[in-house]
Amino acid sequence: MNFARTNWPAVLGAAALIGVAGYAALFIAPEERTMGAIQRIFYFHVPCAWTAFSAFFVVFVCNIVYLVRRDLKWDWIGVSAAEVGLAFCTAVLVTGPIWARPVWGIWWTWDARLTSTFVLWLMYVSYLLLRTLLPDTEKRARISAAFGIFAFLDVPLVYFSIWLWRTQHPQPVIGGGGSLDPTMRWVLLLCWSALLSVMILMVRQRYRLERMRHEAEELAHAVEERAR
Amino acid sequence: MTIIRAAGIVLSKELRLEFRSRELLTTTVVFVLMVIVLFSFSFDPTSEESRRFGPGLLWIAFLFAGSLMLNPSFAREQSNDTLHALRLAPVEPFAILLGKILANFAFLLLMEFLLLPIFAVLYNVAMLPVLGRLVLVLLLGTLGLAVTGTAFSAISAQARMRELLLPLLLLPVLTPILIASVECTSGLLADPPELRMNWMNVLIAFDIIFLAVSYLLCETLLEE
Amino acid sequence: MKNFENLFAAYLLVWAILFVYHLTVGARVSKLQQEIDRLKELLKQ
Repeated sequence: MNFARTNWPAVLGAAALIGVAGYAALFIAPEERTMGAIQRIFYFHVPCAWTAFSAFFVVFVCNIVYLVRRDLKWDWIGVSAAEVGLAFCTAVLVTGPIWARPVWGIWWTWDARLTSTFVLWLMYVSYLLLRTLLPDTEKRARISAAFGIFAFLDVPLVYFSIWLWRTQHPQPVIGGGGSLDPTMRWVLLLCWSALLSVMILMVRQRYRLERMRHEAEELAHAVEERAR
Repeated sequence: MTIIRAAGIVLSKELRLEFRSRELLTTTVVFVLMVIVLFSFSFDPTSEESRRFGPGLLWIAFLFAGSLMLNPSFAREQSNDTLHALRLAPVEPFAILLGKILANFAFLLLMEFLLLPIFAVLYNVAMLPVLGRLVLVLLLGTLGLAVTGTAFSAISAQARMRELLLPLLLLPVLTPILIASVECTSGLLADPPELRMNWMNVLIAFDIIFLAVSYLLCETLLEE
Repeated sequence: MKNFENLFAAYLLVWAILFVYHLTVGARVSKLQQEIDRLKELLKQ
């Protein structure tokens, strides 16, 4: 791997933030009475969800800006944020069952937030799948931008309708309700900032990949033209 | 030419095209019938159970059938590049999209009205006392399906594997419609029947939002 | 601490998912860089 272009201050800063956040989540945050240590997943499960949302919001903005400006750069940022967001979304869906199993004895409950996150995950998988089925660059950017806009505006409706449905057919709630101890609150925010910094670094790296892909395509065309 | 008139012309074209062969309508009706019969094997269709599972299975059948039925909307235009010809006409692009939305809305409703009595008979569900309100729920839910489905048909028509892609794109996004329609239908079939306004509002909100977004994005959707 | 193994597994999985994704992107970057260099060479001739 080529490390020459790595932005070392940013990476080390993010690593430090992760270290501090991890320590805070494991040792500084108060112990929850009923669930024990497993409750500390909360400090990663919830910020992963928030980070996934932030990433998908970036996708939404990029979709709109692309359709207005038609500059491919926005399409590249968009797909990068979508992939990274999906990775964080996967982490949410994986940590949910790990939390649920020791506490409620079952792997999955159709808990409102987890179910909505699952639908969110499916929507962005479709977004990426749609892109792979559109070989032409301009079409891919334009069409997936349109779908992305529909999908993101649907998200509040999805969350609301699943929440409303669940209040009528209650199930065990993952993530716990109730008020938040102030220490818990700042540990949560700390973990979120750690994950956000990871997200930004990953989006930048993925963006670089997309830009290189484009460059390779152009070079391939140039070679082809010359060969004629 | 106003948008309404232009949309009306597109609508009549779509209707005439379909009614010449009626192949889409008949295939979809038979498909939903099969789904309804197959579902009957998964639970005991007593009146009590039917009231619990019936609305869900009905709407899932409609959604699956819809996502199959909505494909040709734009796929048809691809073979002779007719969409290009349509766009050259001096009408607002949204008129074209609206015409197709209305046509799909009509086809879906027709399919649903044909299947509703069959469902009621096969599953012992008393629909007559709540028929008026049930039709209202059907209208709102189907509108959401038609608007989203037509827009996504335009999206998937440009991609490969469009028959498989359309349901994949459509179904997660239609989650609010599915939940809200099922809840409204369940409410109406319950004892005593009630029209759940909070869920009706979800349907209305979805319809308005997606219609608005379709309007804003119509040029993009119809571009080639 | 009760249930510590599960907590550990969860943390491990979160970072594993993110790390695997990072590695796959990194691998693609390297491959592409080689491809670009090769094409640039071809053009120079």
